[in-house]
Amino acid sequence: MTSNPARLYAAALAVLLFFVLWAALAARPWAAAASADPRVAALGRREAALRVEAAAVQARLDRQWAAYRAELRRRSAVPATAVQPQVSITALPPVTTTRSS
Amino acid sequence: MRRRSFRAMGTEVELLLAAAEGEAATAALDAAEREVRRLERLCSRFDPGSALTELNRTGSLVSAELAALVRTALAAREQTGGLFDPTVHDAVRAAGYDRSFEAVPPDGPGRRAAIPCGGEVTVDRDRVVLAPGVRLDLGGIAKGYAVDRACALLAPAGPCLVNAGGDLAVHGASWPVGLEGGPTLALAEGAVATSGRDRRRWRRSGEERHHLIDPRTGRPADTVLLRVTVVASTAVEAEVLAKAAFLGAPIDCPRVLVTADGRTVLAGGLS
Repeated sequence: MTSNPARLYAAALAVLLFFVLWAALAARPWAAAASADPRVAALGRREAALRVEAAAVQARLDRQWAAYRAELRRRSAVPATAVQPQVSITALPPVTTTRSS
Repeated sequence: MRRRSFRAMGTEVELLLAAAEGEAATAALDAAEREVRRLERLCSRFDPGSALTELNRTGSLVSAELAALVRTALAAREQTGGLFDPTVHDAVRAAGYDRSFEAVPPDGPGRRAAIPCGGEVTVDRDRVVLAPGVRLDLGGIAKGYAVDRACALLAPAGPCLVNAGGDLAVHGASWPVGLEGGPTLALAEGAVATSGRDRRRWRRSGEERHHLIDPRTGRPADTVLLRVTVVASTAVEAEVLAKAAFLGAPIDCPRVLVTADGRTVLAGGLS
């Protein structure tokens, strides 16, 4: 292969092969093969199931939190002994005795 | 008359309900007892699992009820000019009250430390945030709150009285309530609380100490008073006012003061 045209053809062929190989690699044919892996598919299904389960748990927590807040509002609305104290000294025997707390 | 006693919040709790035997009365007593125990789990500084302990450990906590209680305590601090202060936690511990009172040694060594009080506490909706180094002791208000809550739960079942070691509330009838070493009060509505240095006290390095910290000094209060009993609308209010009166605040409500030399003074309309 000493003639110039032959060298030119060889160089052009090499460049062509280079780009074809580049295009083939850029297409990542192995990725498609990997996605077909049944283990990956199973993981995908498991992830979807967990998302559904998490949403259900979150909904349950939201309901419990709402119930707790409602109960707290109800408790806060109950007046304890919000009236003026009525007190006097008596000679009656005490039903209970207080001391320093 | 139904009577139930149980131990909670470091003291003996007594529930009296003027109602006949029956499911309603039992249910009310059960609910009141559960409420006291629930609040003990929320507010105890000795329970490592309580919300208050968590707040003191982390400096920040989201809890609607604890936030409401802390807000009440901060309002009391404001109203009493700082004499009632929930940030006395470290001062109480430094004085020697660093575990449940039954376990506090009655005597022993200890240094005389003054711990600053009045630290910054922020309540933003349901979140409580403590400034660095600030810890809360709700002992001065939590028991009163529990008494008020228990009384509110008993009230629908009949005239009732709740007494948690000196913090007491009544509803629905006139109840004769004896004050230790003093007169008997006929209390028809309202609450009574007593702050004193005659029970929760101990000695360190030969010096008598007690649990009522004066936030101005960061040490157990030095006063001629032995105890002060105050009558108010709610047990929370009575607790706050009793502490303030013990530290010398001029309060305007029925009260009984006992001095260290044994004199009893009735004031605020009591005679």
